[in-house]
Amino acid sequence: MHGVKRKQWTQELLKQKREQDRKRIIQYRGLVDKILDFRDAKVYNLGVLKETTQLLRINPEYNAGWNYRRDIITHLSLELNQEFWEEELAFSMALLKDYPKVYWIWNHRKWTLENHVDKSVKIWLRELAIVSKLLQMDARNFHGWHYRRILVTKIEERTGQSRAKEELQYAVDNTNKNISNYSAWHHKATLIPKMFEKNEIKDKKKFIQDEFAYVTNAIYTDAEDQSVWFYIEWFVKNHIVIDALGRDELIQRLQELQKNILTINEDDVLFSGKQNNWCLKVLIVLEDVQRNLGVLFTPCSHEYLKE
Amino acid sequence: MQQLLREKHIAYVQSLDKHQESFEYWLSEHLRLNGVYWGLTALCLMDAKESFNKDEVVEFVMNCYCESTGGFGPFPRHEAHIHATLSGIQVLATYDALDVLTTGQVDQTVQFIRGNQLSDGSFQGDRFGEVDTRFVYTSLSALSILGKLTPEVVDPAVEFIMRCYNFDGGFGLCPGAESHSAQCFVCLGALAIVGRLNELNEDQLEKTGWWLCERQLPEGGLNGRPSKLPDVCYSWWVLSSLAIIDKLEWIDYEKLREFILKSQDSKKGGISDRPDNEVDVFHTLFGLAGLSLMGFENLVPIDPVYCMPCYVTKKFKKYPY
Repeated sequence: MHGVKRKQWTQELLKQKREQDRKRIIQYRGLVDKILDFRDAKVYNLGVLKETTQLLRINPEYNAGWNYRRDIITHLSLELNQEFWEEELAFSMALLKDYPKVYWIWNHRKWTLENHVDKSVKIWLRELAIVSKLLQMDARNFHGWHYRRILVTKIEERTGQSRAKEELQYAVDNTNKNISNYSAWHHKATLIPKMFEKNEIKDKKKFIQDEFAYVTNAIYTDAEDQSVWFYIEWFVKNHIVIDALGRDELIQRLQELQKNILTINEDDVLFSGKQNNWCLKVLIVLEDVQRNLGVLFTPCSHEYLKE
Repeated sequence: MQQLLREKHIAYVQSLDKHQESFEYWLSEHLRLNGVYWGLTALCLMDAKESFNKDEVVEFVMNCYCESTGGFGPFPRHEAHIHATLSGIQVLATYDALDVLTTGQVDQTVQFIRGNQLSDGSFQGDRFGEVDTRFVYTSLSALSILGKLTPEVVDPAVEFIMRCYNFDGGFGLCPGAESHSAQCFVCLGALAIVGRLNELNEDQLEKTGWWLCERQLPEGGLNGRPSKLPDVCYSWWVLSSLAIIDKLEWIDYEKLREFILKSQDSKKGGISDRPDNEVDVFHTLFGLAGLSLMGFENLVPIDPVYCMPCYVTKKFKKYPY
């Protein structure tokens, strides 16, 4: 159980709950047995499908119920029209609103789209808009981001066109809204190397220069948040950066970044009397990168490690 | 300083199957066999294995065996799933009772697991195609306990796992998915089971270790991803991952211990996800498992790779055979 407050039950409350539960259990177990009996008798009709709807509304984690439901739908698929498939999507959407973290529901929704009578790309594009809305409610929902990437792949397969640019913009919109959205930083870090490889970025040098400016801005916005620091650690070491800038400009950018981080750290010392751990860690990383580039300098990493 | 409420936790785990008058008991049928594994392993760690009746438990496990597929369902009559299959095998192995399965049944189970491997090396949970690195771990662990790993299964699975390694050193549920501590555990655990941790070089492991140790928050607990709340189950997912790559001491033990002990229910026993929340057997096991890995409270040592007592896992055949 995640995030459920501990309750102290009084004898009286417990008695009431037991009384209620007794009835609910009889009803629930009756429903489960009925459905499993139908399943074992290989009954596939809309009547039983309705029974599984009832069961899954009470318990959306009942996997055997989902599987039987899909078997019924598969058996009846020739008779099922557009309206049926749209209702099936509405069913899983209603459940997702109440249980946004239940794997089985997301999985069923994907199955529904894959088997939908409408085979055009339209339903997948519509779904992408829907998942964007869901991610507005919880911008870190693990399932939502995973599902989004599945949708993008399906759309790309159907249209033969890359959606990397739109996805990168989506990630940036998210970090603009909240600089600590690690899911969005991850999305960016996954997309950028692929876009470089496939020549989907026109002016690579400008892109990298802008990225240095963006991360610098981000650490000034929130120097406590680890998202951008992890991203920087990856970014400065990635070969796309040196490939785009060349050695000399890279060194210059790294040293600028270093200066900015030192300033942020000094501000933290002035403000709170404490150094900023992330500043120190990433300063060490920046020294490492410069050392590997053959830059001669007096290392300060022992200073950074002092605390 | 808080103390481990050992006797209360034993009583709590023991009482779990006596809650049949509660509606929630029936709503969690789909996790029952997993729950038996969590409960039994928790008892083993507290050296109280005998608190469960072995014959009854083994009988229940066998009632979950699905003759038509060879897999285990989470509850009698439910459909077989890779996750429940591992739990069934783990419980039987913990009781040294794998021989209740006939050779024919074991072959069927192996076929069930292998039948769920896809062409890219990944595994689906069941015939409906949900792919997740959790199921790669589950499958390899189950095959390993049965001593039935083969290069045909292992090599593509390893390749798939390596595609899930991320920019930050963590692992996701599939290639391209965001890093998550639990996915780190399943990926590193799977590599460890098949003796392939050397697929990751020193720099990569260092990065993994860094990302994992940053899961510790000022209050001592660990989280699953950046900017998330601490949760006792990550005491297992993060710690076991660090143990597997030999960087366990990158965490502040004392602070984590305090966080786990604060999450105990001092009245009815059991451990919750965080202090003052409702307890469950899942968090009870992972809290105890974390304490055991750190060597606290005189608990029975746990194997970070299999999440089973070391005295059980030392009997497993090491791959490559």
